[in-house]
Amino acid sequence: MTRRVRLLVMAVGGTGLAALLVAACFDLPRFGGDQHPYGDRVVRASLARHTANTIASVNFDQRAFDTLGEMSILFASVLGTVVLLRQTRDEHRAAPEPEQVALPVRRYALLVLPVAVLTGLYVIAHGQLSPGGGFQGGVVVATALHLLYLGADYRALERIRPVGSYEVADALAASAYLVLGLAGLVAGTAFLADFLPYGTFNTLSSGGTVPLLNAAIGMEVACAVVVLLANFLDQAVEIEKEGET
Amino acid sequence: MDDPLIVVALLLVAGSATAAVAVRDPARQALVLAVLGTVLAVLFTVLQAPDVALSQLAVGSALTPLLIMLSVRKVRRPKRREETER
Amino acid sequence: MNGWTVAATAALAVGVGATVWGVATGPLRRRVVAQNLSTSLACPALLLLSEGYDRPSYVDLALLLALLGPVGTLVFARLLVEDLAADPPRTWGLTYAVAAFGAAVVIAVCVAAGPSRALVKLLVVGALLIGGNLTASRALSGGFAGSRRG
Repeated sequence: MTRRVRLLVMAVGGTGLAALLVAACFDLPRFGGDQHPYGDRVVRASLARHTANTIASVNFDQRAFDTLGEMSILFASVLGTVVLLRQTRDEHRAAPEPEQVALPVRRYALLVLPVAVLTGLYVIAHGQLSPGGGFQGGVVVATALHLLYLGADYRALERIRPVGSYEVADALAASAYLVLGLAGLVAGTAFLADFLPYGTFNTLSSGGTVPLLNAAIGMEVACAVVVLLANFLDQAVEIEKEGET
Repeated sequence: MDDPLIVVALLLVAGSATAAVAVRDPARQALVLAVLGTVLAVLFTVLQAPDVALSQLAVGSALTPLLIMLSVRKVRRPKRREETER
Repeated sequence: MNGWTVAATAALAVGVGATVWGVATGPLRRRVVAQNLSTSLACPALLLLSEGYDRPSYVDLALLLALLGPVGTLVFARLLVEDLAADPPRTWGLTYAVAAFGAAVVIAVCVAAGPSRALVKLLVVGALLIGGNLTASRALSGGFAGSRRG
């Protein structure tokens, strides 16, 4: 294919896509209208299952299978990163030099770290009650641990972060989600069905399997982000090509 | 669309997103991207989608800048070595 | 719209709008300061929105931004240390002005909340917001010595 033919094909495809998108836009409901057929049904279903946060009910109950797909995407991409960023034969590790951090910054990092971890766990635990959930809280917990790199140095972070056990925990959390889904198949009616008692509305244990699936996602995301950042940090800080001093 | 708050949030997103594309240096682009993340979170809040806004805040305010800046550091490092050796 | 959302609109249009302009143009020392101030201005705006919409659970958004915004600035301060050491930012006046604005918003929202559990959360957000803003500014103007590796 020459350059001109390629451009022609792309122009035809692009025009078709643009025409379809414009046609679809004209059929959309108006911005900010008061007719929400999906919203009404979703809210009714989530209230029937005693889940205060409708989004959590959609993510972990009504569309829990979609969340399984999203979790697998994160798992696979972190796996790909681990394979791509591994230490190759012509690379070696150099010990990072300690960084001189100004005292107020160091104190701030060490003070905020536990607060941030606690906030992340709070966001995970209240996923079925208020905005938030496993993904958001997991990212916060993982980011919080890296305050040790920012406020101290990389060796301080490495001491509390055995990457191997985080990889194992990542896989365990991903399997926990699958096992909970299979339990729904055994005890209830379908894969990922909400088979536990729904509990009292607006309490931590309400929503049946929603808090459990939420916790599994929280653990999976936190461990996945830690492993992801560990590989990036190794490459940026420690691993060097042979010949570089 | 008559709510001025939504208009302001949309304009901020359009402005910072255009700037993120227009800036060429990756490190400066990461700075604009961090601001874009914050502004997007505000837009999601204004549109009453706090769960999405929380996701955007969690990912956009610290994690994405850290990943980008670590990559920039890795790519730039050999070049700096050569300069100091000369 | 009520008074709270009008105040949030003003904070977003004037404050955050200025930081978007600041981060998109100018030398690096101005851009990092604008990035730091964007989070310390957006966080009070989120508090005002939570009060304006009468949704106490939206305070979680401000809590997360007050926690993670300064962490993002620390990332830039740490990994751009060589560029910043040559040309450090000196904008303490602006930083203190924004911190005072954040304090004023937190106090106003606290008064509206009254003594309750929500008040404690708001005070935590305020402490994190102002402490984080000042520490991140400190980190930008020479918080790291800049070892060549590490």
